[in-house]
Amino acid sequence: MGANLSKWTMSYFAVAIAWLILAELLMTMGFGFPYAAAEAPDTLVVVHIVCIGWLSMAMCGALFQFVPVLVAKPLFAEGWQIPALVLLTVGLVALLGGFMVLGGRLPAWLWLLPIAALFLVAGFGLVVVDLAITVWRARAPMGPAYFVVAGLCSLCATAGLGSAFACALAGQGGQALGTLLTSGIPLHAIAGLGGWLTLTAMGVSYRLLAMFMLSSDVDGRRIRTTLIAGSATIGLVVAGGLLVIAMETRIDVVLVSAGLLGLATLASYGRDILSLYHSRKRTKLELNTKMAAWGLSSLVAAVLLAVILAISRTFPAHLEAFAFLIAFGWLSGLVLAKLYKIVAFLTWLETYGPALGRIATPRVQDLVIERRAAKWFAAYFLSVWSGTVALLLDQPSMFRIAAFAMTVATLGIVRQLIRTRRLADVAGSLRPSGISAPHLLYASI
Amino acid sequence: MGQSYLDLDVRPILRDGGEPFSVIMAALAKLEPAQGIRLYATFKPIPLFAVMAEKGFSHAETELEGGEWEVLFTPAGTQAPPTSSSAQPTDAWPDPVVRLDSRDLDPPEPMVRILGAAENLKPGETLSALLRREPVFLFPHLEKRGFRWLGGFTSDGSTYELTVRAPI
Repeated sequence: MGANLSKWTMSYFAVAIAWLILAELLMTMGFGFPYAAAEAPDTLVVVHIVCIGWLSMAMCGALFQFVPVLVAKPLFAEGWQIPALVLLTVGLVALLGGFMVLGGRLPAWLWLLPIAALFLVAGFGLVVVDLAITVWRARAPMGPAYFVVAGLCSLCATAGLGSAFACALAGQGGQALGTLLTSGIPLHAIAGLGGWLTLTAMGVSYRLLAMFMLSSDVDGRRIRTTLIAGSATIGLVVAGGLLVIAMETRIDVVLVSAGLLGLATLASYGRDILSLYHSRKRTKLELNTKMAAWGLSSLVAAVLLAVILAISRTFPAHLEAFAFLIAFGWLSGLVLAKLYKIVAFLTWLETYGPALGRIATPRVQDLVIERRAAKWFAAYFLSVWSGTVALLLDQPSMFRIAAFAMTVATLGIVRQLIRTRRLADVAGSLRPSGISAPHLLYASI
Repeated sequence: MGQSYLDLDVRPILRDGGEPFSVIMAALAKLEPAQGIRLYATFKPIPLFAVMAEKGFSHAETELEGGEWEVLFTPAGTQAPPTSSSAQPTDAWPDPVVRLDSRDLDPPEPMVRILGAAENLKPGETLSALLRREPVFLFPHLEKRGFRWLGGFTSDGSTYELTVRAPI
């Protein structure tokens, strides 16, 4: 019962943001796609910085704080957060090193990839076990927490497939892993982006949007429908995909069926989210909710794009633009929007929680100046959408300009987050004396 | 019309090694005529069955996962409210001196209001609050300040009822 502040959530956020900025700088410099092939080692470097370094780290940090709130029970093991962060960071660095080996940028240290897999599996393993036991012990009723569980299962599948690829690339595992490497990449990508990151983000959005818009929670049965459809999609991709690969038949049938099931999932999710927006009691939306809507719009745009490309039979040629919009418009957009609120809320709770009711304290919204952040968010989304268009039109230089604009916009948003954490935007007249700002990178609890 | 029950979750109190009896008696005093109690406990509260039977309640228990129990105490027949104030133990919780309805406030405003009102309670006094969600971030702060609390969702799950008592 009750939830405390998670000590290391801010540390995860800080590490995640550093990786995001690095990825954006690399894209600005023309490293990886579209200057290299989509499957080139340089592209893999950028993709994994974004998916593991930025999105997964931010998601893990948020879940350590959020899952105990969702199930109203403390985290199973607080002490695992830093070991997991270290293992994940070391694993990611080794993974990037491994890709650079493949690209000939480093000597032939083929052992790097299996080592990377080992560290990443250990790091994600700690996260998965910690969160899964927390949910299991709470015996929570059907609701957003089970999306997190489905996301964690997808994370296991993603990490398992990734480890198999790492062994195959290191020349181990024989014929079977070789076949898996040739045909299994879509499974890995869908389980990661669609399962782990999207299902988890969906679960988190149910509660956060309801909370910040003062909406009634979505009915448990409707959540279950969306969850079953989403889990079935990922289950079909992974299990069905592995089966057809083992049988050496074509994977297209599985991917098309999963695509249709995925569409049904998103339609069901869209209906749930619209009902949240419609039933809201808050008339004036806060910046984080408005920006989350832009992230959700990017998801809708990505789905429409996929449908149009699939109908015109040009999806394979534009897969990168679709993936870019999912990763930066939907997932990164949503994460940045929610970070803006979460950082302010956690900072407020840590700083003023002990004094509440005893002296006058600022409100959460006194910690931020939304007007100033809004322009950076607008710049971020506009540059992401421009980047997507640049990829669709096959304009690499335009893509680099968009990536540069994304970098600047991200730095603008991050500056606001740091100002919030430092209480720099709290007006002097509202500041209680004797209360100082918390540590930038962790919570002192 | 179905039987109405007041939800009472004493598991947190039991887990903290506390004594839930006074809380249960306080809840009993708050019942409307013909209302029952749905109690959640970490063990089968056999001693309580006799006490409640004496007060005119029949019981039906169900084991939940993990060895926890849900017990329905139903008033027998349609008799008058089963307790009189003289039957209450002396440490029963008094009626709230403050009643807050925080259901339509932005988070974390309910927490701010509740802590503000709690700090103004005199020793042993209580306040009650209606919320939309279980106020998970509030509990550690109540605990640190020595307050005790009792809370649970109404049976339709739409409102969380919280009672907070100032340290004596």
